[in-house]
Amino acid sequence: MANENNRAVNEFNQQVKPVSLWADAWKRLQKNRMALAGLWITVLFAIVGIAAPVLPIADYQKVETDFINLPPSLKPAGEVALSEASLNIDRIQSRIVEGRNDLLPALEQAKASYDKLKSDLSVKSTANNVYIFGTDYLGRDMLSRTIYGGRISMLIGLIGTITAVLIGVIYGAVSGYLGGRIDNLMMRIVDIMYGLPYMLIVIILMAMFMKEGSSSIFILFIAIALVSWLTQARVVRGQIMSLKNSEFVEAARSMGASTARIIFRHLLPNTLGVIIIFATLSIPSFIMNESFLSFLGLGVSAPLASWGSLVKEGADRMESFPWQLLVPATAMTVFLFAMNFLGDGLRDALDPQSKNRA
Amino acid sequence: MTEEVILQVKDLKTYFHTDEGIVKAVDGVSFDLHKGETLGIVGESGSGKSVTNLSIINMIPNPPGRIAGGEVLFGGQDLVKLPIGELRKIRGNKISMIFQDPMTSLNPFLRISTQMIETIVLHQGLDKKAAKAKAIEMLKLAGIPAPEKRIDQYPHQFSGGMRQRVMIAMSLSCNPEILIADEPTSALDVTIQAQILDIIRDLTARLGTAVILITHSLGVVAGMCDTLCVMYAGRIVERGETAEVFGEPKHPYTQGLIKSVPRLDKASGDRLFSIRGQPPNVIDLPDCCPFYPRCDKAMDVCKRKYPATKDTGNRHAVACWLYTEAK
Amino acid sequence: MANNMGGNDTLLDVQDLKMHFPMGRKGLIGGKHQYVYAVDGVSFTIKKGETLGLVGESGCGKSTTARAIAQLYKPTSGVVNLNGRDLTKLKAKELHAARKGMQMVFQDPYASLNPRMTSGDIIAEPMKIYSRKGLLAISKKEMDERVEQLMERVGLSRFFRNRYPHEFSGGQRQRIGIARALALRPELMLCDEAVSALDVSIQAQILNLFKDLQDEFGLTYLFIAHDLAVIQYISTRVAVMYLGIIAEISGSADLYKKPLHPYTQALLSAAPIPDPGIEKDRKRIILTGDVPSPDKERVGCYFYDRCWKRMDKCKESRPQLKEAEPGHEVACFLYHD
Repeated sequence: MANENNRAVNEFNQQVKPVSLWADAWKRLQKNRMALAGLWITVLFAIVGIAAPVLPIADYQKVETDFINLPPSLKPAGEVALSEASLNIDRIQSRIVEGRNDLLPALEQAKASYDKLKSDLSVKSTANNVYIFGTDYLGRDMLSRTIYGGRISMLIGLIGTITAVLIGVIYGAVSGYLGGRIDNLMMRIVDIMYGLPYMLIVIILMAMFMKEGSSSIFILFIAIALVSWLTQARVVRGQIMSLKNSEFVEAARSMGASTARIIFRHLLPNTLGVIIIFATLSIPSFIMNESFLSFLGLGVSAPLASWGSLVKEGADRMESFPWQLLVPATAMTVFLFAMNFLGDGLRDALDPQSKNRA
Repeated sequence: MTEEVILQVKDLKTYFHTDEGIVKAVDGVSFDLHKGETLGIVGESGSGKSVTNLSIINMIPNPPGRIAGGEVLFGGQDLVKLPIGELRKIRGNKISMIFQDPMTSLNPFLRISTQMIETIVLHQGLDKKAAKAKAIEMLKLAGIPAPEKRIDQYPHQFSGGMRQRVMIAMSLSCNPEILIADEPTSALDVTIQAQILDIIRDLTARLGTAVILITHSLGVVAGMCDTLCVMYAGRIVERGETAEVFGEPKHPYTQGLIKSVPRLDKASGDRLFSIRGQPPNVIDLPDCCPFYPRCDKAMDVCKRKYPATKDTGNRHAVACWLYTEAK
Repeated sequence: MANNMGGNDTLLDVQDLKMHFPMGRKGLIGGKHQYVYAVDGVSFTIKKGETLGLVGESGCGKSTTARAIAQLYKPTSGVVNLNGRDLTKLKAKELHAARKGMQMVFQDPYASLNPRMTSGDIIAEPMKIYSRKGLLAISKKEMDERVEQLMERVGLSRFFRNRYPHEFSGGQRQRIGIARALALRPELMLCDEAVSALDVSIQAQILNLFKDLQDEFGLTYLFIAHDLAVIQYISTRVAVMYLGIIAEISGSADLYKKPLHPYTQALLSAAPIPDPGIEKDRKRIILTGDVPSPDKERVGCYFYDRCWKRMDKCKESRPQLKEAEPGHEVACFLYHD
């Protein structure tokens, strides 16, 4: 009888290869062009960010007084600096011609700077640097600052998300599985924390512990991670609660599976989809939060940079030197879009209600 | 049941375009429906019976599905080609449908009165008061106690059986020519099922409505239907009068199906007859008889070509190479 | 049927099993506790090698009874004796050991298997759990072998062991569930609507499989279904449940030939028979009203509201399950002297 059944099964019922649910989801993700583009862009950013120290770019902290506020250009920096200086001279001259004689000393100064610059550059080796994205108000390379800023921003997004996921998943899983009064209590705590004015707390924390350099990032992480796990906990709890009553969990219990086994072997693997989607969509959220803090001046402090702090610096000067805002802003926007498309695509690909499921 | 044919389905084809391939859910279905007749469509999951019904009133989600061919002739019109505006005049009015799960067919936010009156006003042009009176009368005929009071209630205040009665009342309120019932009792308990089928039978006999009843239960078909069609993998493999098909089933699938149902009135012996194998995967089905891997009487030609339908007399037709000359 | 080989040993003895689910209180403070009386005093025995069919409509408590026996729910009261040991009184470790002889097969072939585990892992899981608890001595090699044997035995090719549930059809998934239930070589199988979600042609295959396995392994079944014809085919004895109690219990043939309880009679008359000749002439007992929900405390016979043979005394007290004929018990005052 078994053989008959096998023969019949192979007619018209041929399954090509064993397809795990992950492979199935990957296939579906690939069909979504926007999501795929998002994936490759994210990967590109990640690689550049990780490889930053070995990339052939300028030192992002090096101050070059001769090269401040250079516009983006493919020409060597020396030329660009000189042409900027001469533009300056022309500008002052034209105004003098219009009748502003009070600017004559300024003209002299400008001419003197020009000459000094010219002589300095002739001996400087860095005159041949090319600043593709221009420089900032301290002569630092915008390209490398944007890349290093990206490192910090993406790191913040990643660590914040990992923290949120770890705390949120454990909290949510325990709450959802235990149910009853404990679940009630745990969720009320979440509700209360939701009600707290998050930004205010972060600002207070940052202001209290504001110190130089690295410790500010640490505080930043803590501040953001403190409130970020809430949604993750709720989402995981909901999923666990609905899975808790499925028949396959009942089956596991009926064979005496321990609570730990049920949670880790049965419930969480079926929750992974939801966790991944949420994680992917929360990375951009963290980056935005950090940008907001930087805008308030509470983000990372100099000489470290993040996209947020770069945007702030650029915003301060955007009328005169627009590229100082546009470059980091564009980089951040592209990355956020990419992650959002990826997250959306993942949600569709991992959707358990899809029609493609048997 | 009279001789007048009110619905003619001719070679209906409905295909779904999925990522994995083309699913030919309905692949050449033809049958006639007479005035006042109760026609049963029997099949297992994947046979295409529900899709057939949805195709008749063109309610296939598009994409991914579309009606790929054939005609549905009703009232001198081809429903397949009818524009949506015209189709809406027929739906709920001349052709009504009830589904398996009454909870999802009724809007949980609206009172029953609102939902019923809406249909009657739309199709019969009565004013609200007259429409409400008609609705109450229909509810009474469907066996709902104290209909004047209950009509103002919400769906969740009714039990499963009661909701199905409301659906029946709603769908018959415009006195349609055809009632399509898609597994109307599959979600109900046996004792409730008996009540509901009784009501359907009574009301449709009284109003002269023809019924297309879709079910997977041979028992229900035996009790309710004058004629029946047996579907497998998107096609009708046998059709005819119920007594005839049960008494002398011709297609091996029909024979197997009847033999494999355990019966209350007869002992089935030590072993139940079972058709071996699985229902076919209908994606990209090749042109052959889809039943051949499971058929005890399969021949060589069955593997190569789909059999033509042969009329074996007495309104009994079967699509099987055992009865047709292979050309 | 070569079933009663082992003599008259009783494998499962259920006495006055009750399962009341608390539903919170009426009113915000104080007020009476609401309960759902899902199972309200059920007693029966199953002998080795028998199949007891449990049949009833939705809300009658048959699934809850099975779960209460399996100790998935802790019974509110009552005794569940498996091989002489009362499962309700055992502590966790003892319970695990005792449960080895009792396994469950579930209804929904789509929901009863973890979608993220391969079929091989699913079938092996009971063995893994018990071996880790030290209650089963088995090596990995033996486990793999047994998985393959079980798959072949239930009609699945062992080459499918690395495939996931969604790659199988409904009938095949149910076979995986059955193989899983057999992994620990149980004596008692609780089959909760195990064929109800399957197509008719597949249902026949699985019912045959159940019978074959019973003959081969000497299994005892508690088989739950709502389809009377299926129950008649598979069971040696049948119990009809209504609103948490057993209305009638008797040998399979007897019950169908001579149903005593009015509810059983109504049930049998309502069940459709696939024979147009018979169906057209059938006189049906049509019950009035709906199947009531088990959340009200009742006085008197539970079937009173819908019974067309009711008497005054049926309103006052609840009839107990008593033997009306040899081997045929019924809970109805019509048969109590």
